[in-house]
Amino acid sequence: MKKKSKKALLIILAIIIIEGILSIGLNHELQFGFDEGKFVIRNIESEKSIQDQINHEFQQYHMIKLFRKFTINWSVLRVILFVDLFLILFAALVRRKMHLIPGKLQIVAEMIYSFFSSLVIETVGEKKKYFTPYIFTIFVFIWLCNIVGLIPIPGNLEPTRNLNVPLGLGIMALIVVHYSAIKEKGIKLYLKEYAEPIAFMLPINIVGELAKGISLSFRLFGNILGGAIIILVVSNLTRFILIPVGLNLFFGLFIGTVQAFVFTMLVLSYTAVAIK
Amino acid sequence: MESEIIRAAALLGAGICMGFGAIGPGIGEGFTAGKACEGIARSPENAGLLTRTMLVGQAVSESTGIYSLVISLLLIFAV
Repeated sequence: MKKKSKKALLIILAIIIIEGILSIGLNHELQFGFDEGKFVIRNIESEKSIQDQINHEFQQYHMIKLFRKFTINWSVLRVILFVDLFLILFAALVRRKMHLIPGKLQIVAEMIYSFFSSLVIETVGEKKKYFTPYIFTIFVFIWLCNIVGLIPIPGNLEPTRNLNVPLGLGIMALIVVHYSAIKEKGIKLYLKEYAEPIAFMLPINIVGELAKGISLSFRLFGNILGGAIIILVVSNLTRFILIPVGLNLFFGLFIGTVQAFVFTMLVLSYTAVAIK
Repeated sequence: MESEIIRAAALLGAGICMGFGAIGPGIGEGFTAGKACEGIARSPENAGLLTRTMLVGQAVSESTGIYSLVISLLLIFAV
């Protein structure tokens, strides 16, 4: 067992290194290397102002053109694929050896899963506990997406910093909520609920439903992007000495975890309201 | 000249937007934290549940502040 976990660690390390090499090839502004005989990790004497750097943060995307106007944002997709690969690897490692007496990895997985399982049972009831895998997956994915920026590799941006990712997650959550509502109540009762107190309220109810998804995704996006910009500005002011570590701990770990949890809790409570 | 005036107005608008947008979430989060303190004082055994609910409620009430942050970022960098 110990040998195998060491092997898994090596594999993960190799993936991280490969990812770093990939990002060196794709990132426009490489920030470590040799400069005039000295090893430079970060170019402090940058001639660009903070404004330029933040603009650069916004537009640092490597787009791959497929056909016509259809493009793929590779620099975001790359990190998402990395997160997915990590999750799949973790799941495969846990599932390969399932024992009644759990090993270390299995204990971790079971702890997180049972926490979310009890949360789902608490909120939507014992009969509807088939929502647990979705809720669990959405939490782990958003959480890893939020904290992946802590790994100091150039070009390793949080995918949730781009609005498209939270918007996609929000639309997915809306689809799940409305599909389960239709499945639970039947299409007639579901449509009737939109004209609830009086028929006049129909447009307001529809806008309210859409606003749920938009507020979900904009909350996640704004928190992560705001944290990233605050880190960038304060790091510039302090010349990248020590302060960015604490800022990364707060904005990356704490805010990232809280926002991922809030996203999942809100999706869960929207589902509970919709199927009540 | 005209573009400079527009830029100045956008920056001013960003400042005003963030300043007024931060009032509501500040009041709301403080109120939530105070009520959670009262609840924990009344029943210390429920502290974990109360803290969890408080964090979720605070993050939800923070969202209006985040909206104003997004708007002011748009004003600064997109105008």
